[in-house]
Amino acid sequence: MKRSSWFTSRFEVVNAILIAVVSLTTAFSVWRANMIGSNAANESQMGLSDAVKKQAFDNENYRKVYKEAAFAYQFAVKQAEVQALEASDDPVVQDQAANIRQYLLPNMQLLGQPLATDEKYQNTDGTYDLQKRLADMQSTEENQLDPTASFARADSFFSQQRWLVVGSVLLAVSLFWLALAEVSNERLRGWQFTLGLGIYLLGILWFVGVELIFFFMRRGG
Amino acid sequence: MNESNVTPQTGQESPDRYKNLIVALIVFTTVLAAVLAALQADANIRADMANRESQYLAVLASGELTRASLESNYELIVFGDYLKNLQEATVLELTALEQETNGDTDAAQATRALAAISQASADHGEKFSIFHTDPRYAPQNENDLPNTDQYLKDVFEKSNEIVARQNEATDAYNAWNRKADTYITGLTILVVAFFLFGLAQALKDVRTRLIFAAFGVVVILFSLLITATTLIS
Repeated sequence: MKRSSWFTSRFEVVNAILIAVVSLTTAFSVWRANMIGSNAANESQMGLSDAVKKQAFDNENYRKVYKEAAFAYQFAVKQAEVQALEASDDPVVQDQAANIRQYLLPNMQLLGQPLATDEKYQNTDGTYDLQKRLADMQSTEENQLDPTASFARADSFFSQQRWLVVGSVLLAVSLFWLALAEVSNERLRGWQFTLGLGIYLLGILWFVGVELIFFFMRRGG
Repeated sequence: MNESNVTPQTGQESPDRYKNLIVALIVFTTVLAAVLAALQADANIRADMANRESQYLAVLASGELTRASLESNYELIVFGDYLKNLQEATVLELTALEQETNGDTDAAQATRALAAISQASADHGEKFSIFHTDPRYAPQNENDLPNTDQYLKDVFEKSNEIVARQNEATDAYNAWNRKADTYITGLTILVVAFFLFGLAQALKDVRTRLIFAAFGVVVILFSLLITATTLIS
């Protein structure tokens, strides 16, 4: 009788300590899952911010390229007009053509640069390669913006958070089996304690496994 | 003396009766709450991802609309300019013919020179216009007009496609957000079950304990119904 009482009180103390440890582990696991969720939200936010910046760059590039294209087109048409004037037999018209070629065309060409001035943008039929100009407009800063990379990292964090929540559920379940062992009679508490401890160890393994897998998947990130 | 030792014990219920059942119900409720919490977290994550996708696609759609507007604006200006020059050349040719008919050959010659300039501008401008260089929009016969409707349809096709995907992402966000909210409702209802089981555990009267436990079970069943319908929806 005396020995049984000693055993009971000792079991309750050990179980109480274990309950405290499991509670702390569960709290840590929930904190970690929330931290990872916060990281995911930050990465998503960063990706969206990059997407807006990248789109602003793209919009500006398109605006510029079509503005240049409009000026270059006007230059090309005026040039064709001058060639037609030059073909005339009328000396007055030829003088007019010479003046346009000397004074007006250079200014129009300047407005239409670099399409109208740089040969690399000029096609053989006299039109302009707008796609090439657009590609050259891409700045280093713009190329560094990669929203999809941030989104991929965010998805990885979201996935990790999901699996950590499952681990937290395991820890919570173990906590209740241990709590049950604390209040149950001697006949039941043995297997309840074992079950609780087993689920707890599984939860710990799960938690460590998830952390390690995602650590290596993100290559240390 | 002997009678008093035996009679009071007969037919009396133990005050601890059904307590183990209630403890089991509490454990079950806890596991259910943990599972519901995990489902809620998952639905929340999916809602967040769909929301982000929706916002990203909105940015892309706005950019694509800007690009398509700039492109179509440029193409229509070039095409309009081509048409203007072509019509000017035609009108000037007609004028020159009239002047010739009236015997004014000098004026007719000058007008023809102007017509040639407009025609040269039109001919050169034609090379810049997608409505003449792209076989999808170019006139099939000499007197036909370019297919501008098809061009406008094609140029905005990508933005329309992005907007359709954005709408799908928004719908997914709303659906997952609704699910997450419903799981929260289920969790809140489980709190009531916890309260009822706790009360049942504390009561000394066995019948009242059973009544509270029964209400707790009804509440759990209601929460399970909500969870199951949300899960399959």
